[in-house]
Amino acid sequence: MLRRAVLQTFRQGLAQSFFKRNAVSLSETTVTHQPIETSNEADEKSVSKQKPGDESGNTVVVAPPEFRFMYPEFLPDPAMERRNRLKEKLERIDMLQRRSVVEIPEFYTGSVMAVTVADANSPNKFARFVGICIQRGGSGLRAWFILRNVVDKQGVEILYEMYCPLIQKIEVLRLERRLDESLLYLRDALPEYSTFPLDMEPERRLNNSVVPINPLKVKLRPRPWLERWERQNLQGVEDLNLPQRFYDKAEKVAKPWEKYDLMLQYRKTIPAEEQEKIFADVHSQLQQQEFKRKMRRRRGTDNEQ
Amino acid sequence: MSTLGLLRTLFNPKIVTPNAIQLQSLNRSPFLVGLFFNHEQVRTMSRVKRRTTHPPYWHVLKNNQRQDEKISSDNLRFVREVIQDKYKNKSPIKGSDLDIEKKEWDPKTKRSGVIARNIGVQHMWEKDGKKVVCTVLHVLDNHVIRYVPPEEYAKSIIGAKVFRNRKPLGCLVVGAEAANPDRFTRQYCSLFNEVGLLPKKRLARFIVTPNAVLPPCTPLTAGHFVVGQAVDVYGKTIDYGFQGVVKRWGFKGGPASHGATKFHRRGGTIGTGRDKARVWPGQKMPGHMGSERRFCRGLKIVRINMKYNVIYVKGTVPGPTNSIVQIFDTVLPRRKFTEAPPHPTYFPPEDGTLPQEDIWDSSLHVFGSPSISV
Repeated sequence: MLRRAVLQTFRQGLAQSFFKRNAVSLSETTVTHQPIETSNEADEKSVSKQKPGDESGNTVVVAPPEFRFMYPEFLPDPAMERRNRLKEKLERIDMLQRRSVVEIPEFYTGSVMAVTVADANSPNKFARFVGICIQRGGSGLRAWFILRNVVDKQGVEILYEMYCPLIQKIEVLRLERRLDESLLYLRDALPEYSTFPLDMEPERRLNNSVVPINPLKVKLRPRPWLERWERQNLQGVEDLNLPQRFYDKAEKVAKPWEKYDLMLQYRKTIPAEEQEKIFADVHSQLQQQEFKRKMRRRRGTDNEQ
Repeated sequence: MSTLGLLRTLFNPKIVTPNAIQLQSLNRSPFLVGLFFNHEQVRTMSRVKRRTTHPPYWHVLKNNQRQDEKISSDNLRFVREVIQDKYKNKSPIKGSDLDIEKKEWDPKTKRSGVIARNIGVQHMWEKDGKKVVCTVLHVLDNHVIRYVPPEEYAKSIIGAKVFRNRKPLGCLVVGAEAANPDRFTRQYCSLFNEVGLLPKKRLARFIVTPNAVLPPCTPLTAGHFVVGQAVDVYGKTIDYGFQGVVKRWGFKGGPASHGATKFHRRGGTIGTGRDKARVWPGQKMPGHMGSERRFCRGLKIVRINMKYNVIYVKGTVPGPTNSIVQIFDTVLPRRKFTEAPPHPTYFPPEDGTLPQEDIWDSSLHVFGSPSISV
């Protein structure tokens, strides 16, 4: 995480494999304009790709395609009735302002994070919570994520709003992904899968280029469960060992035609051209912020020396 | 005559003269109330006309019925040139150019309002960390079209109703959102001929006192308002279409199970059968819901962005996203202005520099500032 900016160039070369693994949230319309660069060509220091130039001859900066996974809250709510370009633009300006004060790192469902929040009721006025991110959602300034942990044999989940000014610090202790986009089944799983020490140290990753996918298969407690997990096509759960009638009913209730429904996918996503515009808008500012933070950290270590 | 009617005449000996209008008097003596009447219920929704789907008859026809005119591309270009010549872009009006008599502001002044579009809802946070839901209103390109003086306005149909027992005030016609004259009729475009502006998609009238009059062609921007003031917002509520009785009036309906046959979201009984022996006017039934005129009073302005002409208002506003609303200074007596606002309106400084692009209320947490520590 600390030297990601330098090693980010190598990620470009592996972007293709990254895409193949994470094809769940992609719509069929997401086509990158440029061929994926191999690691030989990705020698430029800057992360951004430069388009060969539009008609006027100016180079147009395009954000790398990973941005739609790293910063999904910059994409607005796809419902057309409530969309307005000016409002989205103003909201993005506010989001970048907030990000210039607090570092909101890249994280995914399945990452272990620690959040420090200003709390009037706690003894030292700050409350720190460590947990695994089981779900994230919302768009714009309403973006949120849920952290789960088991404290004193009691499962605890806290929903944090990413842009709330009470949040002092967000650290990612372990950056990884799981096989599912939503880990709500951890509520019905054995408690050891949700337990993380509250004084956990941030883990250094050996390979900074690709976010690893943890292929862990979680064991669930015996029934009753909070939801009908057999109907949800979960990848990260061990074999449920249910009587056959559950699976028969799940088949009856299933909607196998949805994977062919192009309009459904279209309505749920923002078109690729708009995504590019949004991230190109946001990309340069985020790069600048990243750079400033790096300099501040270096100056910090220099001062220590 | 019914028994009830007979009893009424016995207890209400009023001499009815042929020319007098007979008043409906209710005899509320406890004897009769207990014996014969259930309380006289007044169903207030009975005679209220809640919405119209057509404009008033004195409005001119607005939108052009687009015929499929087969015009050659040369002629189309010529038409566009004619339009451009007719509505040549004027330079923005400066405060010094207008001949506004410098009238003083007093607490009884009514200023003009502004037409805006509700572009959505954004969450902001106060300085103690409390989340606040704010509606974002984009002030469109407003221009004053004309002024109707008090004497003339009091003679019009609406003006006569409004000022029946009051001292008459003037009325400013403001337009917003310039559009291509092609889509409008000639009569509608002629409304803008005096001012020489491109015809506007939306017109509104704001009642003003004579000392807050603005000359035609004056632009109105977000700077017309002050951060921290209270405003009233008029809009038309979300149109839900034809809705059933549960959603429209909040009825409870019937049980979902336990043998209920075809009675889950119905109204049930609509009358007693004894008193009146008919369905009362105003009985709550399914029907069209929404698309009604509503005012949200006393909303506080928490942030103004002068560059994009956007106002952030604390709370929500009637109407769906991307609908047009009208904003004006509040009528609530305890939230009115104590100091003079930009009167009669705000004019940007002559040298073109903005004094401050983004003005925040003191209670809000500005996003670029450090995190809140309690």
